[in-house]
Amino acid sequence: MLAALLMAGLVCAGPAAGADKADLAKKQNSLSAEYSLAKDSPFYFVLDILGRKLELRVRGMVLRSWPVKVMRFWGRPELSGNVELVRKTALKAPERIVIKPGGDAKKVEAAPAAAAKPTGTSAAPSNPAEFDLEALELKDMPKEFSLDFDNGLHILIKAKTGASGGLLGSIREGWGWYVDLPLRNLFGPRTGKGHSELELTFENDKDAQSIYWHLFDGIKGIIL
Amino acid sequence: MFVKRILIAAAALAYLGFLAVLGAAYLIGLKQASAWPPIGGGRAIGNKDLPKVEKNVQQLEKRMIGLLPKGLYIVIDTAENRLYVKNGKDVVRTAVVSCGSGVVLEESGGKQRKWVFDTPRGEFSVKSKITNPYWVKPDWAFIEEGESIPKGLEDRIEGGTLGDYALGFGQGFFIHGTLYTRLLGRNVTHGCVRVGDEDLKAIFKAVPMGAKIYIY
Repeated sequence: MLAALLMAGLVCAGPAAGADKADLAKKQNSLSAEYSLAKDSPFYFVLDILGRKLELRVRGMVLRSWPVKVMRFWGRPELSGNVELVRKTALKAPERIVIKPGGDAKKVEAAPAAAAKPTGTSAAPSNPAEFDLEALELKDMPKEFSLDFDNGLHILIKAKTGASGGLLGSIREGWGWYVDLPLRNLFGPRTGKGHSELELTFENDKDAQSIYWHLFDGIKGIIL
Repeated sequence: MFVKRILIAAAALAYLGFLAVLGAAYLIGLKQASAWPPIGGGRAIGNKDLPKVEKNVQQLEKRMIGLLPKGLYIVIDTAENRLYVKNGKDVVRTAVVSCGSGVVLEESGGKQRKWVFDTPRGEFSVKSKITNPYWVKPDWAFIEEGESIPKGLEDRIEGGTLGDYALGFGQGFFIHGTLYTRLLGRNVTHGCVRVGDEDLKAIFKAVPMGAKIYIY
């Protein structure tokens, strides 16, 4: 009886042990890749495809984590390994405000707190978050953009809440995903890889905007 | 009539051809996609290599822990305008701050210089701790106001604007106090990090010289 139970245990443990070994191999690879980045780069990102999250890290610490709500891909993205962000592309990229000397420079900052008018006596919003400042802030970042990496990987970032662009937007998106991408994959440059695209959708606009803010050009990262 | 039929047939053929190509492209894409993402990743480990790999993983984990800053350190999120004083993975204090506005100032005459008011991103350390700091106004402060740049140092010194304490982290950048407390939480500065009085006092007292500062 005991021998039968032991045998059953061994049979069951077989695939599990294999999975453990594969996990261990994966852990070794990811740790090795992360260590090589973390010791030299102040900041780097980790895109965990199976874990469905994008993280900004420094020295092994997670600074920001953005859970991926929806993920879809076309072709066979060459993902695993170290990558470098080459270019961020947005339909409407944020622009810096340029101030000319002696001009409107002081408008950037409101009056000091002690000298500020009491709330309700002016037309200015009472909540400081509502002031329209001459500044480049998180709210000015695009909600949909693409990231191009040095290995040819193209990732489209978008927010679930900002996805609706009306009927025209849906047609454009459908054409892009179901017609344009397959055809580009078939007839694209013959590099032997074909065209591939990864689309990551995040929960809200702020997630997508903060990814645009924090993932600067040239940032290195690991895709697991 | 005949020409019309030919044209309709040609259009139908072109349409069917397009659908066939699209279908083929779609099937090829699906075939490629079905092989991804690879589960497990990495090469398989044999039983013989298992102890070696386990040891390697342990060593790498130890090395990663070794990269963490020792003692208290500061983390600043420039997008959310938040400052965190951390010890290991624990957040000791959170403060609402003001970071760089991202505005560009251009000097129209003279040397035609240009400044970008960003809070620098990267890894820094506390290089100086100053009580009752004075602001030595740089050239851009005068240019921005449309004033002429003074020759003497005494004309550049301004007291009271930086609050009671300042922590310098290099290249003229400081974590300091502010008169503009209503704007804490917004990107309004010329690159420095402005903190409210109470938080600034606590940060100044807690964070030692040489402590790491991570700005992202």
